[in-house]
Amino acid sequence: MRLSSILATTATAALIAGPLAAEVKFGALYPFSGQLALLGEESARGVELAVEEVNANGGVQGEEVVLVRGDAVDNNQAIGEARRLISRENVVAILGTYSSSRSIAASQVAELSGIPYFELGAVADEVTGRDLQYLFRTNPTAEDMGRMSIQMIVDRIAPVIGKDPSEVRVGVIHEDSSYGTSVAGHQERFGEEAGLEIVTVQGYPASTVDMSSLVLDLQGREVDVVMQTSYQNDSVLFLQQANEAGFKPSAIIGGGGGYSMVPTAEAVGTDVIEGVFDVDFTQYTVDPSYAPGMEDFVATYREKYGEEPRSGHSLNNYVGAMAIFGALDEADGFEPDTILAAVEAVDIPEGETAAGYGVKFGDQNQNERAKMMGMQWQDGRLVTVYPEEAATSEMKIGE
Amino acid sequence: MTETATRPATALERTNRQTLGWAALGLLLAALLVVPIVVGDEFVYHIFITICLFAALSTAWNIVGGYAGQLSLGHAIFYGIGAYAGVILVNMGVSPWFGMFVGAGVAVVAAVVVSYPCFRLHGPFFALATIAFLEVFRVLALHFRDLTGGATGLMIPLKIGWEWMVFRERLPALLIAFGMLLVCLAVAWAIRSRRLGFQLVATRERESAARAAGVATVRVRLIAVSVSAALSAMVGTFHAMYLTYIEPASMFSLQLSIQIAMFALIGGIGTIWGPLLGAVLLVPITEFARGALGAEAIGLHGFVYGLVLMLVVLFMPDGIMGVLSRFSGARKAQDGGDEGHIAAASPSRTPPEIGKPVLKVENLEKHFGGLHVTNDVSFTLREGEILGLIGPNGAGKTTLFNMISGFLAPDGGSVSVLGRDGTWHSPSDPGEYAALGVGRTFQIVQPFAAMSVEENIMVGAFHRFHAVADAREAARQTAHRMGLGRYLEDEASSLTIGGLKRLEVARVMAMEPRVLLLDEVMAGINRADVRRAVDLMLSIRETGVSIIAIEHVMQAVMALSDRVIVLNSGEIIAEGDPKEVVRDPQVIEAYLGKEFADA
Amino acid sequence: MQTFLQIIANGLMLGGLFAIVAVGLTLIFGIVKVVNFAHGEFLMVGMYATYLLTTGLGVHPYATAIAVVPILFVLGALTQRFLIQPLMNARDEHIQIFATVGLSTALINLALLLFGADIANTPNYQLRSQVEIGPVRLLQGQLWVFLAAILLVTGLQLFLKRTNIGRAIRATAQNRAAARLMGINDRFVYILTFGIGAACVGLGSALIAPLYPSSPTIGTYFVLIAFVVVVLGGLGSIPGAFFGALLIGLVDALSGFYIGSDLREAVVFGIFLVILILKPSGLFGTRMSLSHVSP
Repeated sequence: MRLSSILATTATAALIAGPLAAEVKFGALYPFSGQLALLGEESARGVELAVEEVNANGGVQGEEVVLVRGDAVDNNQAIGEARRLISRENVVAILGTYSSSRSIAASQVAELSGIPYFELGAVADEVTGRDLQYLFRTNPTAEDMGRMSIQMIVDRIAPVIGKDPSEVRVGVIHEDSSYGTSVAGHQERFGEEAGLEIVTVQGYPASTVDMSSLVLDLQGREVDVVMQTSYQNDSVLFLQQANEAGFKPSAIIGGGGGYSMVPTAEAVGTDVIEGVFDVDFTQYTVDPSYAPGMEDFVATYREKYGEEPRSGHSLNNYVGAMAIFGALDEADGFEPDTILAAVEAVDIPEGETAAGYGVKFGDQNQNERAKMMGMQWQDGRLVTVYPEEAATSEMKIGE
Repeated sequence: MTETATRPATALERTNRQTLGWAALGLLLAALLVVPIVVGDEFVYHIFITICLFAALSTAWNIVGGYAGQLSLGHAIFYGIGAYAGVILVNMGVSPWFGMFVGAGVAVVAAVVVSYPCFRLHGPFFALATIAFLEVFRVLALHFRDLTGGATGLMIPLKIGWEWMVFRERLPALLIAFGMLLVCLAVAWAIRSRRLGFQLVATRERESAARAAGVATVRVRLIAVSVSAALSAMVGTFHAMYLTYIEPASMFSLQLSIQIAMFALIGGIGTIWGPLLGAVLLVPITEFARGALGAEAIGLHGFVYGLVLMLVVLFMPDGIMGVLSRFSGARKAQDGGDEGHIAAASPSRTPPEIGKPVLKVENLEKHFGGLHVTNDVSFTLREGEILGLIGPNGAGKTTLFNMISGFLAPDGGSVSVLGRDGTWHSPSDPGEYAALGVGRTFQIVQPFAAMSVEENIMVGAFHRFHAVADAREAARQTAHRMGLGRYLEDEASSLTIGGLKRLEVARVMAMEPRVLLLDEVMAGINRADVRRAVDLMLSIRETGVSIIAIEHVMQAVMALSDRVIVLNSGEIIAEGDPKEVVRDPQVIEAYLGKEFADA
Repeated sequence: MQTFLQIIANGLMLGGLFAIVAVGLTLIFGIVKVVNFAHGEFLMVGMYATYLLTTGLGVHPYATAIAVVPILFVLGALTQRFLIQPLMNARDEHIQIFATVGLSTALINLALLLFGADIANTPNYQLRSQVEIGPVRLLQGQLWVFLAAILLVTGLQLFLKRTNIGRAIRATAQNRAAARLMGINDRFVYILTFGIGAACVGLGSALIAPLYPSSPTIGTYFVLIAFVVVVLGGLGSIPGAFFGALLIGLVDALSGFYIGSDLREAVVFGIFLVILILKPSGLFGTRMSLSHVSP
């Protein structure tokens, strides 16, 4: 259904922009069913919007971009769908994938087939840590997330609470899948490098129904700052149970997932979530002058899907896809090596994309300009507070 | 019931059907290999590799879940162990062809450790225990990061070539997956059609009857679990190489475990080819459904999947194999009364000399809570003797039987059996009793319902023979002697009660016991059958077998027994010649009440 | 010391939560002898029903129990009548397990289809407000759950022991054939029992919904714990399930604090396995249908 409506709109767009000579196919590999479907779908919408925009402006190299969906519901399926996209649909490249494990599995297939694979949303380090030739990642990573949260503590939080970084006691908790574990690992590493006192690092299953013991543990260790990398259910649970146990650290820094979503705030109550920090992909409250095009994106999104974007995933996927399409438009042909060369030449400075961060592929084909944003819940809204150039509001601590 | 359905299949028809079945199977297997090669599409390759993979896993599972009837929902443990062993070793520079066997070895150890304590548990309890073990393995895999890489998982270096099981083209991967499927099928087929398979199914159907027939139930189950685990682990190693990336969540996954079992269930649980059929049918349907419904709305495809599963369970509880056998006109039980004739010697012949003692019971004691069910019972059984054991209900006869066949441990006293070597032994479990030649029947008949009459008797015959052909021959002979010759091909559950009782005896007779314990083989059968049973027992005794028979049918007891023991409230109250014993006032009192005895 | 008391209190409250979910399961498990893998999804359905009724009608979540309990009763009765009953005499007892797995899959995905993967928040009407009892602080809602669990266990126990229907249910559980001979309609008893088991979890969901956000997969975590509780308590033993739940709640809370939150699942399942293997009749149970020597 949805695909055909996209095709219809792209056709209309094509009429306006003049006839496009031919089609060029790209794969969109996301988890569209199963547990990860919500944000998988949200991510794919960003790519869809990018495709529409590109086609409305004459396509890529004058050819109309056609997006073929693949459903990466599990790792085996991710491999199967990658195969199908490559051998059946003859896509020139694959965009994806939101989930890190699907990305790792599917990109190995693309690598062996010699087809470029563009990761626009998965954060695990391992995605780009494998010396793959055909894999590129535009989005910031778990490492960026860890680094950003530690920077926030050292730069801003420690001075305000009047402590030297070495006196700040930090508790790191995380859900125990790949996502939480890798972010927490970086937080621990960067924290120790910055001289913070990391008093505990604890994992827990995301499906847990009780975190009171963990809260008591953190309380007992007299933690100043809690960093939690989590999904939604566990974010809600921790915030509620911490509040109920009377545990009030100087700062709580959430990592992505649940912390960026409005239903989380509704679930715990705006008074409870007030002042809580969040490090995540660029969301929609970033300074528009830092992220040109973000407002247009939101407007188009609303028009097309009839609702507000549910998270920043669509925006970041959109930005990544636009950068890739832009680069390909400059090239001549869609041979894998041509694509590689075109993408390697991309050089978009910071502050010129709708997500704020720039694009330039460095070591391991990772976008070295990709950045997470530091945000904070203020008066029931998530606002960007860090770094300075992207901030829309002042950081509030200890009020 | 149509004419054709009731008509017993002739041997020719059966052979034709069999040939047809083999041909269909050959075609199916060939198609698994040929279709992707002809189509040449990578995605089709992937689908067929997935089919082979799941069919192989499911076939391996079926050895435990189907043959042995232990519903494991934790089979991903073994698959995961194989995957991790393979990947860890590849990262150390060891080829997965070797790692595969390391994984299989570790999986066997894990299987024995996990299953041994769980075999006491049945049905849902076993399933829950395996789920719990799976959860523990998953959490441990997450926790021990140095070994497993924790939640972030492990990857293999993309070293291409047969040596590393990683390929650019798809054909070699298909060949390996197909080869593994063939290995799994061959092993499953070999097990099912050999002694081990019979013993597993017998254990699944009636554990106590299997033990009485001399089956070492724990041992055969452990073998089944080990084989199944090793095969699953090897498939796991290959799949890890195919995925190139593994993590605890997808390796030690409950969902995967359920899926493996599901393919077997839908194909036909406990059959050799069912799991294969299940995977061949379901994998493409799942793929198609996902393609057609997945993009439509989140959850729709899963919802339909759940519904289909319920419908399949409701309307095809025996799976595809069940439907197929219904189509091929399965033989139907013919219930023409007990026309079988016992090729017995006429009872008029003089009984053989009663020889030396073969079984000694000394001062046996048993308490159930406050109840003294066996009180200082002692007696001796001689070679070629028929000893009648009578007594009112609740006298403790069956308890006594359970103690002299190893099913119950006595609280005091001893049971000794004369071995073939001429020395006295004190066996302690049913297996040891069986090995010494003590065979028993059960008061409530315990046929192996899913087996034919012939196969039922073969379970007993396997006590003496290793080869299927020998056991089959022995079973046939026994069946003819017991008047079951014409029912050989019938399912045991289709027999009449008289037939079932004879089957019960036949199974024990096939073991060629030296001491036969018969628990009410005449209860509930008609007069003609009683006569036949009496003839039967006399003819058995003529071969030198000693018999202890619990009986309520007095006329039979009198006609048969050389000696009678009367048990009341756990005590022997009379012993001796049958005609004298029935005149004993104590016996009359026990049976008919005090007033009667005094009168 | 204060922390320790707080952990104990948290563990007990968690135990109350597990108890109210597990009581229905133990009833079904013990009497119909079916492992209901869809039990967690019954909880999920109940929580969504509570959510919809509370937000739709603007009533207190506890008031929705008037509707949620009957809804779940009907769901349970229908499950027994149309899914389990046709399989009661199946050759393979495992079949029923797969039937409930199918039901569970269908229900989770139906919820995903209807409500999306997002969480749904039932208004909590101050049920998350604090109550201080001596040195420990608890939530009002948790205390109500705990209290309700005690009442439910007592009520069910009285129902089974003192009423005619209850006696019929127990008779059927002990010997189906004999009960039938005595004129008990065993099919009806099973349908009723399944309905009551589901209704129990319906009551639980009205109490739990204000404390936890509902999501399609909320049941999956609860159901495994509930099985642990049921087996620990002894098959079909309702007081056993209650004390088993308290024990698991305490183990969960204590191991979460003293051993580490990443390993506490392993501890819970490890204890479960040890008890299952060493004392398969459960900590509080008397007997169970294990491998038996027949007759």
